Amino acid sequence: MNAGLRPSHCVPNRFQPLPFILAYDDFSGGTGGWLELMPNFTKEGFKARESILDKTRWGPTMLSTASFGYMGTHGAMSGIYSLKLATRPVANRYEEMPAPGSMAHAIKRLSVFRPKGLVQFEMWYAYTPEQDRIGVGEKDIRAFGASFDVQDDSYRYFIGARFLNSVNGDLKRQWQILKADEGVTDQQWAYGRQGEWNKRGVDPMWYGRRYPDGRTDGYQFVSGGQQRLCYNESDDKINWIYLRLTVDTARREYVDLQSGAAVFDLRGISPTLVQPYARIEGLLNPVIWVETDTDRRVFLFVDSVVISCE
Amino acid sequence: MRHFTTAVLERHASLAGDFATEPYETPWASEALFFIRAEETAGENPLLRARVQISADGIHWVDEGTAFPPITTTGDYFVRISHFGGWLRLAGTIQGEEGRFDVTIHLVLKE
Repeated sequence: MNAGLRPSHCVPNRFQPLPFILAYDDFSGGTGGWLELMPNFTKEGFKARESILDKTRWGPTMLSTASFGYMGTHGAMSGIYSLKLATRPVANRYEEMPAPGSMAHAIKRLSVFRPKGLVQFEMWYAYTPEQDRIGVGEKDIRAFGASFDVQDDSYRYFIGARFLNSVNGDLKRQWQILKADEGVTDQQWAYGRQGEWNKRGVDPMWYGRRYPDGRTDGYQFVSGGQQRLCYNESDDKINWIYLRLTVDTARREYVDLQSGAAVFDLRGISPTLVQPYARIEGLLNPVIWVETDTDRRVFLFVDSVVISCE
Repeated sequence: MRHFTTAVLERHASLAGDFATEPYETPWASEALFFIRAEETAGENPLLRARVQISADGIHWVDEGTAFPPITTTGDYFVRISHFGGWLRLAGTIQGEEGRFDVTIHLVLKE
């Protein structure tokens, strides 16, 4: 895009923002509103609605110095602090529904302030498991991803990308996008439970049946989307990696995904459109998450994030 | 302005036997409070013991020296700590026959 249109001089040019910056967080001064994604604690005793999945135990987010026992403090790409998403040390097999605590999410709750059009997520991040055992733990990270939860005047939809890294210890290293399979019912989406609140297409991070080859009801593989990322040679060496996802909220379509220097064209692909939910018109929530593949904590370190729009 | 964070380490969690909260990074903070809200108890003479632990790497833990008084009933309890380095967690145990505590645990950090 035309660099002359960029109005913000505080965003480093390792980002490629659209003209209007909704958020730039480098986590040097706090979490910037990124917090754990939790259910609504609106029931008796401030408990969450009954669900087939316990969503109250997703791992914590925190400011991190990325410190390791034999390497010391990595710090961040810029400064000392990054935002860390940490799972608990628990996982089900891939083809089962996610174990409580096997994921960690960070969400920033925003709303639209511009006409519909291009919206973009960018981050510099690194990923690794907890160095609690010897060897190289790359295969213990199941997946990570980033998406927008959007609601406009007609529809709610999840639009985003997931890097499927490992399935039951078998490295896949393949990008997927959020898009639910046609023909999946709301009940199948919720692992067969009748009366689950969510609709097909909503919350694909944990809903939608999973299959041993890495497919789920909620994700589609990106054509040619295999990619080897810079994991490094041991679990206490982390490299900062660039991710960009651009979507079009006017057309309700994907535009493209950039991971490192690779760009995947996603034009013409639609997310799954769902009838609007109450009280969230204009919602524009970026969400980042990480998933563990085994009984081991895995971490996603986010050095910085930019959310921008045209 | 001072820097401040409340982390919710457990939400209505049911604890029995030995437990430890998830490791939490605290390098930016110089003072902390752990809160335990004991919401429900079960079993015969249930007793919750919890102590603060610190760590150099988030993996190996040592007792910091601060501990909650033994908790036997529902209610809200806290401890204060400072000079704790880069990591904090609570470790503890539930005693009593079939002892169980449902708890919400907060870590409150300030710099």
